[in-house]
Amino acid sequence: MAELDFERRLERLFSQSPEMPDAAAFAERIERKLDRGWNLRRWMIGAAGLSGGVVGASQLVMSNLFQRVESAEESARVLSQGLARVTPTTDMVSALSGGYGVWIAVGLAVLTMGVFAARLVEEF
Amino acid sequence: MPGTSTSFASLHDVELCSYAAAGERRAFGELVRRHGSAVRQLLRRMGAQAAEADDVAQDAFLAAFERIAEFRGEGTFAGWVKRIAARQYLRRLQREKRLAAIAAEEGGEDGETPGRLGGTDADHRMDLEEALKSLAPAERLCVSMCYGAGLSHGEAAEALNLPLGTVKSHVKRGLDKLRARLTPVPGVELEGRRSNG
Repeated sequence: MAELDFERRLERLFSQSPEMPDAAAFAERIERKLDRGWNLRRWMIGAAGLSGGVVGASQLVMSNLFQRVESAEESARVLSQGLARVTPTTDMVSALSGGYGVWIAVGLAVLTMGVFAARLVEEF
Repeated sequence: MPGTSTSFASLHDVELCSYAAAGERRAFGELVRRHGSAVRQLLRRMGAQAAEADDVAQDAFLAAFERIAEFRGEGTFAGWVKRIAARQYLRRLQREKRLAAIAAEEGGEDGETPGRLGGTDADHRMDLEEALKSLAPAERLCVSMCYGAGLSHGEAAEALNLPLGTVKSHVKRGLDKLRARLTPVPGVELEGRRSNG
């Protein structure tokens, strides 16, 4: 019984720790480390998202997309000529049916990847 | 969500853990402010030098933040971090090949009873630091792990990579020495007063 009492007292003594004078500085050091780690992680995920977006977009561009777009462009031109007879054409339609459309799509893809990366950062 | 560290100061540990699990680093900072000293003190009691204890405590808190979702609030947050810190300290000792030397080293004193005093818990806390110094390093490590970090003998044996029986022996010898030093002796305080008067 006395042994058990002593063990309890020892546990109590171990649990009593006076606050150290540099306790606040120690905590701030850890907070700074956490912030640094967090920023690094954010940059890495952002960079990974951006490079992924660029690679994805370049793959999109390289995969004979231009030829496909040109043929689609031709079809669109024919279609728009047909439509022009019915409704007046707008600048927007002609811009999208041209080469700009591809680059807008590429830009949107990169933006989407960026948003996705930002979302990932929020999740982690 | 609390916006400043002042408002975090009013929250319970479990609530702070929830915020920390959601990525709120200021909430975790408040937990470090509350329990940092206890964790650093435990590591010093295990035998680490002050700078080393601070390094290990820092690593332990960073690891705790990474694993905060694993903390279910079943025990205390301080106890959880202390166990992480104790294990990290042992890993460091193993990595630097100091653990085997500690296990082999004998203590300075052998259960003698110098400095048996009466007095309050605060006095005994001061005595605890001194009393722990009289233990063999392995005894000190085992006692601190079991009574300071709250590990069972089995967990301590596993962490120390020692047979369970060896750990139990270290703990028993360590307890005997500590008891001899820390148990108040009736009349000692009185005699001291008499001699002063």
